[in-house]
Amino acid sequence: MAAPRSWALWSLCGRGLSRVMPGCTIPGLRSSWPRSPLGARPLSQEKRATETHFGFETVSEEEKGGKVYQVFESVAKKYDVMNDMMSLGIHRVWKDLLLWKMHPFPGTQLLDVAGGTGLDWVLGDAEELPFDDDKFDVYTIAFGIRNVTHIDRALQEAHRVLKPGGRFLCLEFSQVNNPLVSRLYDVYSFQVIPVLGEIIAGDWKSYQYLVESIRQFPPQEEFKEMIEDAGFQKVTYENLTSGIVAIHSGFKL
Amino acid sequence: MATLLRGALRPLRAFPGSGRLAADVPLRATSHGAGILYPEHIPTSPLQKALLAAGSAVMALYDPYRHDMVAVLGETTGRRTLKFLRDQMKRDPEGAQILRERPRISTSTLDLGKLRSLPEGSFGCEYLRFLDVNRVSPDTRAPTRFVDDEELAYVIQRYREVHDMAHTLLGMPINIPGEIVVKWFEAVQTGLPMCILSALFGPIRLSARSLQVLVSELVPWAVQNGRRAPCLLNLYYERRWEQPLGALRQELGITEPPVRVEGLV
Repeated sequence: MAAPRSWALWSLCGRGLSRVMPGCTIPGLRSSWPRSPLGARPLSQEKRATETHFGFETVSEEEKGGKVYQVFESVAKKYDVMNDMMSLGIHRVWKDLLLWKMHPFPGTQLLDVAGGTGLDWVLGDAEELPFDDDKFDVYTIAFGIRNVTHIDRALQEAHRVLKPGGRFLCLEFSQVNNPLVSRLYDVYSFQVIPVLGEIIAGDWKSYQYLVESIRQFPPQEEFKEMIEDAGFQKVTYENLTSGIVAIHSGFKL
Repeated sequence: MATLLRGALRPLRAFPGSGRLAADVPLRATSHGAGILYPEHIPTSPLQKALLAAGSAVMALYDPYRHDMVAVLGETTGRRTLKFLRDQMKRDPEGAQILRERPRISTSTLDLGKLRSLPEGSFGCEYLRFLDVNRVSPDTRAPTRFVDDEELAYVIQRYREVHDMAHTLLGMPINIPGEIVVKWFEAVQTGLPMCILSALFGPIRLSARSLQVLVSELVPWAVQNGRRAPCLLNLYYERRWEQPLGALRQELGITEPPVRVEGLV
């Protein structure tokens, strides 16, 4: 049985661009391309017995994908409501900043991974994208890479499918750089967020996973190095809201 | 048919560290492994309990079909009352047995076939009829999560599971007026803050006519019966399926309702 590893729903915007909000529901498989069909790439069946983190729990790498999948199945219905409640709407500002940084224009071939609703979408695996090499101008992933079991593989895949000159952009929760903000943020994260999840969505555990997975994600510098290891150059990052989130950028040259 | 439920201590997991955790560990040390007293237990800080209590109260009022919110409200506000209830159960012979044996009511523990074969008018038969007519199952009760004591967690779980027995004994359907009547009865019987709050605020959404019937007839009747009857938590229902419902009501001092509730909204 092929264990789903890092299922991500993403959208391909062939022409023009659409603002993609990561309101994930996992629908059936469907793809209609504005361009010629892309080569299908079969998933490999590699399995490993190593362990990894799922929030603060330790799980096998095999399990993680399935558990993350369940989290997102569970939160899908109230995803946007919860995002607004938890961040008081600020997540929209963060996403706007990401798009602004991208400076997209008509004709940009954009791939948004873990993207939710869009023009055309394909179900697949961020660690093994069903696209050929050198396909896209921009690869974005907003609040998705944290949930991938093998971040390095997702980065390598991002590098592969980007055209030379293409840009990688990642919007993700990161480490706060201000001690006071950090303390308040921690109290808010661990005391309030799971409670909000329980009250609004009837789901404590998924939101506990959310705040724990944020702490498990590498800090800005380390993630920058990971992006460089995947072959990207001119890697930079920008902190937003005292480092609660960061936008990392790199180029395939 | 006694089913043993023992709060199983989950084996303590080694706290996973990735080396990059900041100095905020105390707030989350209890999330995995440490402090878990029974399978579904989620340890919570006093602040979280307060937030849960307030949030669940608001949400339960806003959306009365969020039964899970009523459950959360009960768990986060009931600690002192649950202790009192547990202590009075210990003093009662049948209640003490329930605490020792910890019977559970679910489709896996009930012998539904046997219940169906019971004579008409027996408690077991009437209970099944109640489940069928109202299209509910004993499995819809959420497990206890926010009570930080495994015996008290059982007490509130038992309270939840015998709620349907209260409906059957009182002859109340599961519409909103019916639920309110049962809550008044339970409020008098248990003193649980959640029952009291539900009894007081539940009627907010009722029509004037229903409210009038409730206040003038049903609530006084429920309160009277609640005072007269022994605590429903002390009844070993699983041993009383064959008992005729009429006789059981008489034993408990529960009278017929003064008004039919089905027509109320």
